[in-house]
Amino acid sequence: MQNEYNGNQDVTVRLGAAAGDGIQSAGEILMKIFSRSGLYVSTYNGNQSLIRGGHVWFHIHAGETRVYSLGYGIDHLVALTQLAYDEHFSSVNQGGAIIYDPSAVKQHDFPAGVKKIEAPLTKMALNHDKRPIMKNTVAIGLLGGLMGLDFGLIGRVIGEQFARKPDVQKSNVEAAKEGYEYAEQFGITKRLRYDYGTKRTFMHADYALALGAVAAGCRFYAAYPMSPASPIVHWMTANAKKFGIRVFLGEDEIAVVNSTIGASFAGARAMCATSGGGFSLMQEAIGQAAMTETPLVVVDVMRAGPSTGLPTKTSQGDLNMVLGISHDDFPRAIIAPKSPEDAFYTAGRAFNLAEKYQLPVIVLLDFAIGDGGYATVENLNFDFAIERGKIVREATQDMHNGVWFRRYMLTEDGVSPRALPGTPGLMYVAKTDEHDEWGHDLSDVLAGLKEAVNMREKQHEKRMRKMEYLAKEMRLPEVFGPEKADLTLVSWGSSALPIREALPKLWDKGLRVNSLEFTDVYPLRADVRSLLMEAHDLMDIEVNYTAQFAKLLRREFGVFIEKSYLKYDGEPIYPAEVVKHVEDTLQGKEVKQLA
Amino acid sequence: MLNLKLYDSDVRPDWCPGCGDFGVLAALKNALATLELPPDRVQISSGIGCSSNLPGYIKTYGHHGLHGRPLPIAIGIKIANPNLVVIVTAGDGDEYGIGFNHVVHAARRNHDVKLIVMNNEIYGLTTGQLSPTSKSGQRTKTSPDGSIIYPLNPLSTLLGAGATFIARGFSGDPKQLSMLIQEAIKHRGFALVDAISPCVTWHDIYDEVRRKMYKLEDVKHDPSDAVAAYHRMNESEKIGLGIYYRTEERPSFEELMHSEITSSIPAENVKNLTKDQIAQALAQFQ
Repeated sequence: MQNEYNGNQDVTVRLGAAAGDGIQSAGEILMKIFSRSGLYVSTYNGNQSLIRGGHVWFHIHAGETRVYSLGYGIDHLVALTQLAYDEHFSSVNQGGAIIYDPSAVKQHDFPAGVKKIEAPLTKMALNHDKRPIMKNTVAIGLLGGLMGLDFGLIGRVIGEQFARKPDVQKSNVEAAKEGYEYAEQFGITKRLRYDYGTKRTFMHADYALALGAVAAGCRFYAAYPMSPASPIVHWMTANAKKFGIRVFLGEDEIAVVNSTIGASFAGARAMCATSGGGFSLMQEAIGQAAMTETPLVVVDVMRAGPSTGLPTKTSQGDLNMVLGISHDDFPRAIIAPKSPEDAFYTAGRAFNLAEKYQLPVIVLLDFAIGDGGYATVENLNFDFAIERGKIVREATQDMHNGVWFRRYMLTEDGVSPRALPGTPGLMYVAKTDEHDEWGHDLSDVLAGLKEAVNMREKQHEKRMRKMEYLAKEMRLPEVFGPEKADLTLVSWGSSALPIREALPKLWDKGLRVNSLEFTDVYPLRADVRSLLMEAHDLMDIEVNYTAQFAKLLRREFGVFIEKSYLKYDGEPIYPAEVVKHVEDTLQGKEVKQLA
Repeated sequence: MLNLKLYDSDVRPDWCPGCGDFGVLAALKNALATLELPPDRVQISSGIGCSSNLPGYIKTYGHHGLHGRPLPIAIGIKIANPNLVVIVTAGDGDEYGIGFNHVVHAARRNHDVKLIVMNNEIYGLTTGQLSPTSKSGQRTKTSPDGSIIYPLNPLSTLLGAGATFIARGFSGDPKQLSMLIQEAIKHRGFALVDAISPCVTWHDIYDEVRRKMYKLEDVKHDPSDAVAAYHRMNESEKIGLGIYYRTEERPSFEELMHSEITSSIPAENVKNLTKDQIAQALAQFQ
């Protein structure tokens, strides 16, 4: 037990209960309390695809300095159900504490060196209202007491949470107070340095991306509900009036993506999001956007598949799908932000790239940082440049043939000037069939004629040429850790985060390890090759079975990454797993060969 | 009335001589000219099939997209820029087959989009297979002994789905068809104009239509009477041409949306957030 403050500290808390017990709400309250105490947070929502029963948990890692991932083990476990105890007690750290209500939970095999905190949570809740669900609030108060937090703040946050339910607002605050006071008998379990003057902002990547999109001028959003992308549509609809967002709820993902393409064609910044299954339905239309050269931003918040898979569990398994969307070749960009903060900026970049190059941009998030995980975001800059590319607002003689606008003009960079419907004198037909510069079909009366064959080749090359210019705008991976290392970990998207938290532990053990954090996944810049070649040794870490990103690197650069840590059980990567795998590998214990 | 030449394309339609789609194209041009809608204000979306080649033959803004999906494309365009007159032209395969889901929901939500279906009861461009509106007993490449399948009745189905404007015209009577298209464009909300447009190559029904057709106005059909409309839609030995059903009691989707959300339309509102909006946004996450 650490009663005195001794340097930079962090804490992990896990709340476990059944669905319907309000554990997500409790987790969010606690996260808010931490964030208003100046702490940095990173969370994970271990929920299930059901509304009542089962087992759900909420994990919070909070620290005085930036935390990236879920930390190590559990310092405080709150077990509201037997299953919550059974599932998590063995992960509690030495010096940690387990809080449970003996009327609901029978403890067993209680770990040595862990503080036992028996508390009649339900009974205390019922002292204030006939609502046993308030055992949550009692537990929050109790945790606050154990961590030496200010009750004034706890009461305020709980009060805010229930601001719309005034009938239960007071009783919840009082229940929390009783929990807080109950904690006194146990003393302080872990106290961090709290700064009540600092309010930190937190978001998960779904929200951050939605906010970033709107900040970049997106005012059309279409969706069909699908976990874990649904928070985006919830946020967009909740904020529609405030920011002037038109939200379209399509009858299926095909309607969703096509309406998004329509809105973009009409000149809006339009976006849609889904998860793997919905994305599968959208593919034909994404090819269409590439062919008609209509800017398009589509978000896939990945969950474990295939098929309907695990709706509330995480994966990075959709990379191959988005590399190979639909039929035949067409240009595209794929970006996988690594954190909520990164997702905020990625939205704006995605729109700029989509409009400058008039092609589909796919943003890959995953459950771990999407619906599943909040994190502190800092110093968001809302003033990023809106770059709309070649939009023609006024007709001149050389732009048309007397009838049609030369919409698909062959150009050096592959990008042709675009006119928005409504512009006088620049009428054209966006064509999903192969076409000439004025949008005449090459698919029917001209098909196979020399002139059409030649033009097909030129149009196809023009579209694909965009990739050369686009690639120059893509970013190199960020290098985390020392420039020179014995082992370089390669990751993409959110897998960078547990690695960031693992590396300091490895450095403490004297291991020279660094990491390449790829976010711009496709097209890859040519100089990625030298980065890989210069590394002493490489290990690929990603959340899928076939090492999809490593295979992409092999395909693009001929670089074969032999070592890997691949996870595909639906759970996110924890830092401890990275530490163990790197140690084992460097000690020659285990080298997983890629097929 | 505007000059019809305003809408002339530089491409000759690739339709077979005698194809009904010529009549639909002529009726559409006439309707736009009569309503004095300049080409830049009109947006026509289509899918895939002979009839969906239409946008290339009329000078307006166009989107020649995927099979079955012109309606959601049009809906996105209309929401993003409600100043445009948004029309969909496609065939029965597109709209009553692969894309019918979109039609039902567009009708139900009452999007201000006008759907002109060139209905020829056959898949023409794919060389003559059964379509959703092919009749029982109809011989096609995929029903050599006559179809055993009951056809879709798009009119009565959409009446049930809550469509607010349902009409049927005939390519052989472009004058009436033009009038129906004009009424559809003037209607507040979703409008279906089912345009019988015979395929002279695979399923020539000109004679049949001419034998069975009559004008709804000649029998004093009341378009506000949904029950009467339902009965007329289900006549098998007669084909009524005209407006079957029309109601303006329900506002359009776009009217409802734009009255709720009053800031400028998405196509013109590509802007960063204001300081005040940023503060409102961040407050949700603290």
